[in-house]
Amino acid sequence: MKARGEEGLLERVAALLAEPRHAEHPLREALEALYLQHRDQQEQLDRLMAISDRYQALAREAQQVTEKRYERAVKRQKKLSRISDRYQALMRERNQALHQEAHHDPLTELPNRRLIDERLARLDREGRRYTLALLDIDHFKQVNDAHGHDVGDELLVAITRTMRQGLRDYDLCGRWGGEEFLLLLGNTGLEEASRIVDRLRARLAQVRVPSGDQWLSVTLSAGLSEHRDGEPYLATLQRADQALLEAKREGRDRSQLASG
Amino acid sequence: MTMIPDLDIPGSQSTPTIHSDWAAGRLTMQGDSYPENSYDLFDQVIAWVQGFLNEAQRPLTLELTLVYLNTSSVKAMMDIFDLLEEAHEQGRQVAVTWHYDARNERIAELAEEFKEDCSYPFAITPTPVSA
Repeated sequence: MKARGEEGLLERVAALLAEPRHAEHPLREALEALYLQHRDQQEQLDRLMAISDRYQALAREAQQVTEKRYERAVKRQKKLSRISDRYQALMRERNQALHQEAHHDPLTELPNRRLIDERLARLDREGRRYTLALLDIDHFKQVNDAHGHDVGDELLVAITRTMRQGLRDYDLCGRWGGEEFLLLLGNTGLEEASRIVDRLRARLAQVRVPSGDQWLSVTLSAGLSEHRDGEPYLATLQRADQALLEAKREGRDRSQLASG
Repeated sequence: MTMIPDLDIPGSQSTPTIHSDWAAGRLTMQGDSYPENSYDLFDQVIAWVQGFLNEAQRPLTLELTLVYLNTSSVKAMMDIFDLLEEAHEQGRQVAVTWHYDARNERIAELAEEFKEDCSYPFAITPTPVSA
């Protein structure tokens, strides 16, 4: 950009140089040389600025393209992460559902044998104290035969509900078999477990389910065994099972404690 | 015009079944996709789609019944959808139908995410529950 007034000055100099009466002036030759040199330099400067401006425009354009590309890449990356995260969450939920299905009984939603086994094995590893109680519904087959499996299932669900309510948070109640339940009473000795189970059996005997125009109720027999230090849980279970058999033999509707 | 050989890749537990039909202009993919080397698998698919869009002038339809996708599979699908978008912007007729099990609405939501930037027909349709 030319300085203000510069154009006027150059015009004045050009006019002075063109004046015929100055042709022989001693300064004319030097002024003309200076004038021409200035014009050349001005021209070069203009070209330089034009080139520089073009470069700047190009660089700016390239930067904008890069920015746009970068924004697109970021947007894409975000989309990829978002979708991928959602798939992962989906997978996690599916795993949890599978885990729930694999470890629980579908009818009563109680822990099944697999989960109980895992829990008992852990207690053994940790050297924890516990008492096991196996409970069996007396004459359950007759209920199924006389009233149908639907009523039998309803009875199982009702028994389960009451059993859950009667237990402490840290106790575990699982479905061991058809009409058999296993109670895992943590930090509990045989005497205390026996009181808990008898109280529970009394409440379970009150459970009623409708069948036609009558109400059904059942009793339960129980076999209890306290875990001995260092023995595998299967040994404890076996004693509880034996005790349950004895309770059945002794006339049902009772608890039998395995000898310590 | 060079024809790219059709794909006929049997599925496995971790890879989808992939089948292409050059004559009909159709590519189908179904199943889970978490392959160990997703580039080996999807490079062929991307090459086929690219080839079809370059060489054939017929419409192209993708029939997808994909369930679980790992991250690299998600990326590959985004690449394929981008190819379709580019072709569509140049006036080509392309379409996607994403089928999902009606019991699993979550898959439909994920398909919606893929669909987001696509301006071509992209249908997400529940398939009847098979017992």
